Amino acid sequence: MYLKTLHLRHFRNYQDQQVEFSAAKTILLGNNAQGKSNLLEAVELLSSLRSHRTSRDRDLIQDGEAVAQITGHLEKDMGAVDLSMTLRQNGRRTVALNSLNLRRQLDFLGTLNMVQFSSLDLDLVRGGPEQRRHWLDSLLVQLEPIYAYVLQQYNQILRQRNALLKAMLKVGSEISHDVSPSSSELALWDAQLAIAGSRVIRRRARVLQRLVPFAQSWHQAISGSTEQLEIRYAPNVALVEDEPEALQKAFLEKIQQRAIVEQHQGTTIVGPHRDEVEFTINNTPARQYGSQGQQRTLVLALKLAELKLIEDVIGEPPLLLLDDVLAELDLSRQNQLLDAIQDRFQTLITTTHLGSFDAQWINAAQILEVKTGHLLEQEIF
Amino acid sequence: MKPIKNNPSPLPDPPITVWQTTSFGGSPTVYTRPLARLIEQLQHLPGVGPKTAQRLALHILKRPEDEVKALAMAIVEAKLQVGFCSVCFHLSAEPVCEICRAPNRDSSTICVVADSRDVIALEKTREYRGKYHVLGGLISPIDGIGPDQLHIHQLQRRVSQQKIEEVILAISPSVEGETTTLYVGHLLKPFTRVTRIAFGLPMGGDLEYADEVTLARALEGRRDLE
Ligand SMILES: Nc1ncnc2c1ncn2[C@@H]1O[C@H](COP(=O)(O)OP(=O)(O)O)[C@@H](O)[C@H]1O
Ligand SMILES: [Mg+2]
Ligand SMILES: [Zn+2]
Repeated sequence: MYLKTLHLRHFRNYQDQQVEFSAAKTILLGNNAQGKSNLLEAVELLSSLRSHRTSRDRDLIQDGEAVAQITGHLEKDMGAVDLSMTLRQNGRRTVALNSLNLRRQLDFLGTLNMVQFSSLDLDLVRGGPEQRRHWLDSLLVQLEPIYAYVLQQYNQILRQRNALLKAMLKVGSEISHDVSPSSSELALWDAQLAIAGSRVIRRRARVLQRLVPFAQSWHQAISGSTEQLEIRYAPNVALVEDEPEALQKAFLEKIQQRAIVEQHQGTTIVGPHRDEVEFTINNTPARQYGSQGQQRTLVLALKLAELKLIEDVIGEPPLLLLDDVLAELDLSRQNQLLDAIQDRFQTLITTTHLGSFDAQWINAAQILEVKTGHLLEQEIF
Repeated sequence: MKPIKNNPSPLPDPPITVWQTTSFGGSPTVYTRPLARLIEQLQHLPGVGPKTAQRLALHILKRPEDEVKALAMAIVEAKLQVGFCSVCFHLSAEPVCEICRAPNRDSSTICVVADSRDVIALEKTREYRGKYHVLGGLISPIDGIGPDQLHIHQLQRRVSQQKIEEVILAISPSVEGETTTLYVGHLLKPFTRVTRIAFGLPMGGDLEYADEVTLARALEGRRDLE
């Protein structure tokens, strides 16, 4: 797929900016705090309806403005699509495909596919388990947008169940006139948690199963085949049998086992919100293994695996967004990345300098200079 | 006993200033006090922001005095006179609502909804000829709402004491709606047949927004609660 144009109105530090992408690779060149990442963020929003930098729409709207708008023209195998998203101070959003407003935001997801890679992604290896869950969840939403709904439901059930556990804890420790929330009420939330949670677990397991072989072969290629990468899904509720009823049963059993601890803590301790994804290299947890360079190799392998998996499942290559990360890769890794994407994947690259790029990256790339929310087409000779 | 005024101000009260941000750049505007109060009150209404409140207030001030009084009276009278039906908890000016009193409606079927808005939506379909029961919300521990805060016991009493052939649960399939459906379903199943209607609205849609055709179709497609 190919994002032909992007139009930003009152978005971040862009007043009214039309961009036309004229090559498979576009380099956004500029000093810090000029608007490079903002532009990638706009593409991320069109893809996922989320920004990894903020969850408040008013951060995304240009200061002093009421409404921001992002529109894009995307060329896909089955035809062109116009995407548009309107953000308001009060948080209400409107999304439209081909100028048709959608009643459900969910129907917007999965249209523009992309893989993001920024220096922050090292946290995939070094950060806590929530980083890896979030990474997996974002990938899943692209592959099967309904997962956004599944996950949202699970999180809402979790919040409700936690509120109930907390209320029960309070009633237990105080003399209260309230009627104590009954355990039959809790059982209802248990059942819902198990149903929604099982959906989350099975989907996470499924996507990892498909992703891991790609990640392993990329990792071998980049690291020079000496290191053995393992990726293991460690769900909080063990997935013994990949079958909804069996998993729900195991889920409820584990809730039973941990009931006393849960009621003591007043919070839900069983479920996929406690899942982990373990990366090991040569049997050592990747977090402890090797240098920053080796960890970066792992992340690069994961990102390339994402590209490949999305291409496989969707049937066409997604966009690749490289935020400040390319300059951090040494030339040999840059070239491996270049080999992998060639001209098939439309790639948007941000950087402050072109100096550390291999000439192959710069040749044939469109170069846009970014300066305080304005873009200037640049000829480099 | 009067509270002690510990900070008597020698100055008269300043006029209330409403700082409103408009899309034109956030210039402050000073309203005269009664107007500011009206705008403030209107903003408490759902869906009314500062701009709409100002438009409504200025409009009201332009209307003839008796028209404005009629509006104010209508608001106060509706509030004072409309309460809940003692049987089904639908909004009603009488102790028992019109639907509950209607002799030609099927009193062996009860349709359970979360809110009076849902009764109105279902009535518009003209498909349903039974009675209703309004729960007054959904189970939501986050909001401190458990079964006891809803009209669930009254429903159980109705169903266990009268000859009810069928209870139809018409509750939106949100997380809270699903839990409420399960809870009420389990409670009533010993007494009668319990069905639920399958809305064509899997997510994000409240019953309120369902168009009449969808609802009418949903009523035909109801299924037994497992
Ligand atoms: N809502 C906003 N309104 C106006 N400017 C904003 C807004 N949000 C961020 N900015 C500005 O955007 C710039 C940061 O842009 P960014 O794309 O992150 O920089 P970089 O080019 O380093 O990637 C900062 O100058 C910041 O002040
Ligand atoms: Mg940046
Ligand atoms: Zn009634």
